[in-house]
Amino acid sequence: MSNEWKHIVGKLIWRIPLLILLVVGFNQLYSEYFYEEDLDKYAQMLLDVQQMKDSCEVLYFGESSNFSYHPTRDTLEDRISDFISYHFPERKFGTVNHAAYHAGLYVPLIERIDENSAVKTVIVTMNLRTLDQAVRYSELESAMQQEKVMFSGHPPLLKRTFLTLNFFDNRSALDRDKLKWEEWTHDVLSSEVDSISFPHPSIRSWCEQVKFPLPDGTEDMSKRALADHYIKAYAFRIDETNPRVADFDHIVETCREKDIKVVFNLLAENVEYADSLVGDNLVWLMRVNRDYLVDRYTTENSIVVDNLEAVGGYHFTDQNWTTEHYDQVGRQIIARNVADAMKHFGY
Amino acid sequence: MLFNSVAFLVFLPSVVLLYYLLPHKFRWLLLLLCSYLFYAWWRVEYLPLILLSTVVDYWAARKIHRSQRTPIRRLWLSISMSVNLGVLAFFKYLILFLPEKDPMLLTIYMVDHPILGVIVHGLYFAIPVGISFYTFQTMSYTLDVYYGKTEPENHPGYFALFVSFFPQLVAGPIERFSHLMPQLKAKQFITYERMSKAFKLLIFGFFLKICIADNLAPIVDQVYEDPLRFDLLSRWFGTLAFGFQIYTDFAGYTLIAQGAACMLGIDLMDNFRTPYLSSSISEFWKRWHISLSTWFRDYLYLPLGGNRVKTYRWVFNILLVFAVSGFWHGANWTFMIWGCIHGVLYLLERFVWGKPKQESSILVKILHGVRTFVLVNFAWIFFRSSSAGDASRHIGYLFESTGQAVLEIQPFVYLLIALFLFTEFWLYNSRIDMRLSKLRTPVRWAAYAFMLFAVTAWGGVANHPFIYFQF
Repeated sequence: MSNEWKHIVGKLIWRIPLLILLVVGFNQLYSEYFYEEDLDKYAQMLLDVQQMKDSCEVLYFGESSNFSYHPTRDTLEDRISDFISYHFPERKFGTVNHAAYHAGLYVPLIERIDENSAVKTVIVTMNLRTLDQAVRYSELESAMQQEKVMFSGHPPLLKRTFLTLNFFDNRSALDRDKLKWEEWTHDVLSSEVDSISFPHPSIRSWCEQVKFPLPDGTEDMSKRALADHYIKAYAFRIDETNPRVADFDHIVETCREKDIKVVFNLLAENVEYADSLVGDNLVWLMRVNRDYLVDRYTTENSIVVDNLEAVGGYHFTDQNWTTEHYDQVGRQIIARNVADAMKHFGY
Repeated sequence: MLFNSVAFLVFLPSVVLLYYLLPHKFRWLLLLLCSYLFYAWWRVEYLPLILLSTVVDYWAARKIHRSQRTPIRRLWLSISMSVNLGVLAFFKYLILFLPEKDPMLLTIYMVDHPILGVIVHGLYFAIPVGISFYTFQTMSYTLDVYYGKTEPENHPGYFALFVSFFPQLVAGPIERFSHLMPQLKAKQFITYERMSKAFKLLIFGFFLKICIADNLAPIVDQVYEDPLRFDLLSRWFGTLAFGFQIYTDFAGYTLIAQGAACMLGIDLMDNFRTPYLSSSISEFWKRWHISLSTWFRDYLYLPLGGNRVKTYRWVFNILLVFAVSGFWHGANWTFMIWGCIHGVLYLLERFVWGKPKQESSILVKILHGVRTFVLVNFAWIFFRSSSAGDASRHIGYLFESTGQAVLEIQPFVYLLIALFLFTEFWLYNSRIDMRLSKLRTPVRWAAYAFMLFAVTAWGGVANHPFIYFQF
């Protein structure tokens, strides 16, 4: 070792421990005076989990389906999670709710529930569309991944630094759009596993077909745009490469380790409208995907409440769109089905 | 790769360690590969553009040097200029003449045609990062060879490294061959003093970028996006904040670049010297983006005749240089207007109101300084606005009171701005590493500790890449 290297090592030998001490001290300082304010700003859901995990026996993880309601038809604005809780008045329920959230965001939140907490069951919303390309490559994803940084179990100051340095999946909207279109172009809808030959090779080719011809040789473009939206939302095949499947697997595994039961609430979709607009093929795919999820996540520790076709088309608040927003009756149906399923776990 | 990323915090120490462990004869190769990796981290597809600039200027400079015949020398110079300016014009300015396209159709086109899609991406969505910087750097080399100021480089590897040296590849400083190349070739030894200096530059650079610029960015964005929503004070604050944002963003970037290069034994030129403390527009341009303003001085203003021409021609030269330097920033007339405003101010200063003399009183200098600051910030409105119409409306909104909303600014942001203003005065005619070195050890360490805490706990969280990356 040259003299200069020795000189540097000699200088650093007390500076590095001092720096480590400083960083540890800064972490304490940050945790004490700034962390909670940052959580409130960037990761409200984690605050909710931290506040509820020691007092609630059941935690409901959901997105906008939980709290949306019909503005004129509903007399009750109660959430699905509220309706479920009415079935078990003796149990304390908590709700962790954020619009557009999906299993990838629930995973780190569920990881933060420790074994000694009061939580014995988690009800996790399973939204079929969160497995499709439009949602997986949504431009909302970067903002949600940013929140996810703060959900992790790392020291608070490190998480805050990661936030500043954009240390998360921070792809641009354009990059996400390209990935989405690549999958819509190249993903095949036929299944190699069960040798099913689907009439449309890919989502894009399906969308490019004329669907609503008019007598004058043109096409009803507004209907076609809506049909294409439905195809993009539901025409896909779930397999193990889907990142949401990995997330659901992770939830089941994490909860099994912590002896927490999992109830997956597979949300209702407007199957009637999908059928009338696009036809049997799309409904068939929806059912195939539903069956995949039900089969995969019906285990000793977890159960899937199949609400896919439980709510009639009338009870969807957005009649012509794919959102899982229900009126009061729709929310009550789903809540009852979930409550019935919970009895499977001895509730 | 962004400087303010975890990847860079791993990349830089790894490169430095390998650099000093390797024998000198292999170091250029390591730096070259790392520079290409640094660039490819962002988009590998645009790496061929750097290679094109490298190959063309390597050959052109050698041909120019070898030939005694002026037409041949001019031919090779023209080839070099055409390729560099052609690439620049294609990716940066062609958009002005292209029809608007639906972004979704462009996305689908890029999916269907991956190779042509790279060009479409560069044209419509984001120009290749650093293209304005490395093309100007290579052009300065060829011009220097043409004017006989320097000998051409024989080693293609070293020349490629000169074009792509990662600390200054994407946003400068635009280095000169005669300054950078000898340092790249010299055998560098690691010293504690050099590492200490690099650390000072890096920590202050990160502080400026992450704590000041990134915290000001959302304030500026809100005010420029919807000025009518805010009360008058907020509008003025947001407008002024852009002046500080762009300065701390770019100066922060430059300091990090200088710090990173310093770790490898290389001193990059200074790009900023407390520009907002200038007492005149001409002084401002000696302190702001120095590597670009000296480039335009040496390769445009002086060849046009500089100030050794008749007055009307000199006025034309000044306006042309400022207009071109404005247009260099991008394909938007707002940049051109910004440049022209500075040109006009420069001329007004020369012919109308003058600038303070060496022997002028402090009060006179301060008054001139305040006027310069106000005028520079007025010009920034055009730079920041998305169109000339937006800019003129924004100026109007600064004098009419309609909105009620008040900007929500966290208290620590005020503290950071106050500290930044203090350091500007403290750093007048000096540099952070020199200033910090003169402090007593406990005070210096307190400054380090504060900056470290601020960077880790108070950094801006919105995703704001360096502003000059888009140029």
